[in-house]
Amino acid sequence: MDPAAFEWNAMHGWAIATAAMVSAGCAVVGTLLVVRRMSLLGDAISHAVLPGIAVAVLAGGRPGGPLVLLGAVAAALVTVGLTQVLRSEGGLAEDSSAGVVFTTLFAAGVVLITAAASRIDLDPSCVLYGILELVPFDTIRIAGLEMPRAFVTAGLVFATILLGCVLTWKEQLFAAFDPDAARAAGMPVTATTIGLLAAAALATVASFEAVGAILVVAMLVVPAATAELLSRRLHRMMLLAVVIAVVSAAIGYLAAWHWNTSAAGMIAVVLGAAYVLAAVAAPQDGLVARLAAQAALNWRVTAEDCLAFLWREEESARRGPESRDRGGWTLRQRVALAWMSWAGGVLWTADGWRLTDSGRTRAETVVRSHRLWEAWLGHHVKLPLDHLHPPAEWIEHHLGADVRARIEAEVGGRDTDPHGRAIPPEQTS
Amino acid sequence: MTIPYNTLVVAAGVAAVGFAAGVVGSLGVLRKRALAGDAAAHATLAGVATAFLVSGRRDLPVLLAGGLASALLSLGGLVLIRRFTKTRDDAATAIVLGVSFGIGIALLSGITARGIPGGGGLEQFLLGHTAALTAADAALLAGVSIAALAAVWLGLKEATLVAFDPAFAAASGWPVAVVDYCLVALVAVMVVVGLPAAGAVLVTALVVIPPVAARLWTDRVGPMLLVSGCIGLVAAVAGVVASGLVPRLATGPMIVLTAAAIFFVSLLFAPRRGWLAKRLGPRFPLTVE
Repeated sequence: MDPAAFEWNAMHGWAIATAAMVSAGCAVVGTLLVVRRMSLLGDAISHAVLPGIAVAVLAGGRPGGPLVLLGAVAAALVTVGLTQVLRSEGGLAEDSSAGVVFTTLFAAGVVLITAAASRIDLDPSCVLYGILELVPFDTIRIAGLEMPRAFVTAGLVFATILLGCVLTWKEQLFAAFDPDAARAAGMPVTATTIGLLAAAALATVASFEAVGAILVVAMLVVPAATAELLSRRLHRMMLLAVVIAVVSAAIGYLAAWHWNTSAAGMIAVVLGAAYVLAAVAAPQDGLVARLAAQAALNWRVTAEDCLAFLWREEESARRGPESRDRGGWTLRQRVALAWMSWAGGVLWTADGWRLTDSGRTRAETVVRSHRLWEAWLGHHVKLPLDHLHPPAEWIEHHLGADVRARIEAEVGGRDTDPHGRAIPPEQTS
Repeated sequence: MTIPYNTLVVAAGVAAVGFAAGVVGSLGVLRKRALAGDAAAHATLAGVATAFLVSGRRDLPVLLAGGLASALLSLGGLVLIRRFTKTRDDAATAIVLGVSFGIGIALLSGITARGIPGGGGLEQFLLGHTAALTAADAALLAGVSIAALAAVWLGLKEATLVAFDPAFAAASGWPVAVVDYCLVALVAVMVVVGLPAAGAVLVTALVVIPPVAARLWTDRVGPMLLVSGCIGLVAAVAGVVASGLVPRLATGPMIVLTAAAIFFVSLLFAPRRGWLAKRLGPRFPLTVE
């Protein structure tokens, strides 16, 4: 590519700033939409604001002006209202009624714009994916500084949304996580929801010139869903969503510049990449982290089963004729034993594997958990003897010292399990 | 006024698409998968653009095959997100829809910006434009639609059972998940076939609005499929005619508006479930004395 094409100028700075501002507003609203499971309403609204914008422009408003903002908010509320009416009057499912309403309104908007194309400067393809690249050329002078009109609009909308969000934070939080309790506590849940929908409409219409109608969905939902994988607190999730949105907007714009394609499209692609990255590598909820945690648990269970087996062998050797490790370990158990011999739990001798003192302590804890659970089941559930082992085999890896103490108290301090075998005492280390 | 032969053939082909989309969509709506097709529909654009870049030509069969591939890929992505992340279904659908559409737009704009010959016409897949279709294209669309109808004929019993009582179907040993996958794949096929007529953004309406309108007229599955198919057919033909009369008007919005008008009439005048019937019809006392 021609290196001259990369020449930086203020126009690109303003385009990136506009995209970032627009994305930040969407991310704030999107966070609340995602936690309230209303993502598809965001989708519906982003389609349905089109006729509102078209009518407002026909009535003399200019793109990005107050009349257009008003028209978009009205259209969004009409969408949601119509969806509700269809649900109650027509008995439709929520997604069917939303599907009917937003496709119809979007179609009406496209027809309006096509029919009035000679009179208004809105282009159907611009409506679909915006023209971020042209945003810096429509400027307005504020306090002596020449700024793109779309940036000013987006900034005002972002400030409005942020203010609304801060002022109603408690209500939003309550309505999001326990709407029934919120309603019972006298919170205005419906008003909160309408406010959220109006905010979604504002964010959508502010994004309209920059990214178009359809790609707003990505900017609303993807940063929030990505942030949700990275955090479990709402305020942190919202902050992360805004950061992800702003960074993706900048990277997407630069990538689009590099490959000479639509900035809005590339921003959505970068957001998608961010989501995939988080889904795979998030510290707690990522795929890798969860698989690793699962594998670690599996290995712990295998290792503890080996220790407990060796401990039981020692126990029966104390009672009866000499018994020892007869081998017969599976490959998985061999690996676990080798690892434990390195960690100091077992020792390889001429007679096979033997427990070390620390290994014996750990094994006794496992066997104690196992037999206490059998005792508790035998005491409370009245299961037949041969049904006690399987659940105990499973739970022996998951009982803590305090639970063991409570079970021991419950079963009346018995020192044998229902099979008559001794329950080892609690190990104090 | 004589109608050109080509327009007649195209109208017939699109009519078949409308009918089949109405029938297949009915099963989707009954199974409450109304918006599953929406993510697939937005994803088709990326496949269409990729198919154009790879083949270098604008042959409808190649482009639609690409669209179907990316639609199925997006549905696969949806399944992966549901299976392996804690992201909830609504957000998962929105993510797949938004991101795959973004990929499509990026590819499409890249093609347009580079001035690749023939690439300009690809934008017709956004909102639908039937004027450019040939008789051979229409025959392909009609053929796939008839195949989809045959598939519905074969699987109607299973699909109905799973739609109305999935728990019973599972308990009786029916492979509910397989039936669901087949149903969603069939919806994806109809979405792809509907693409040239209705466009990626609005083709969902073709599989949602006619079934929802038909549901108001009847409580039985067979009649619902037929009524839904007929509504789809009428809407499709009306869209083709309207966009033929007004040169710059895209076909998709006109199809959707016709279907929506029929839905609105149904909502008012359908027997028993309609607004009028509810206001005027006999009232049944709900209390027992």
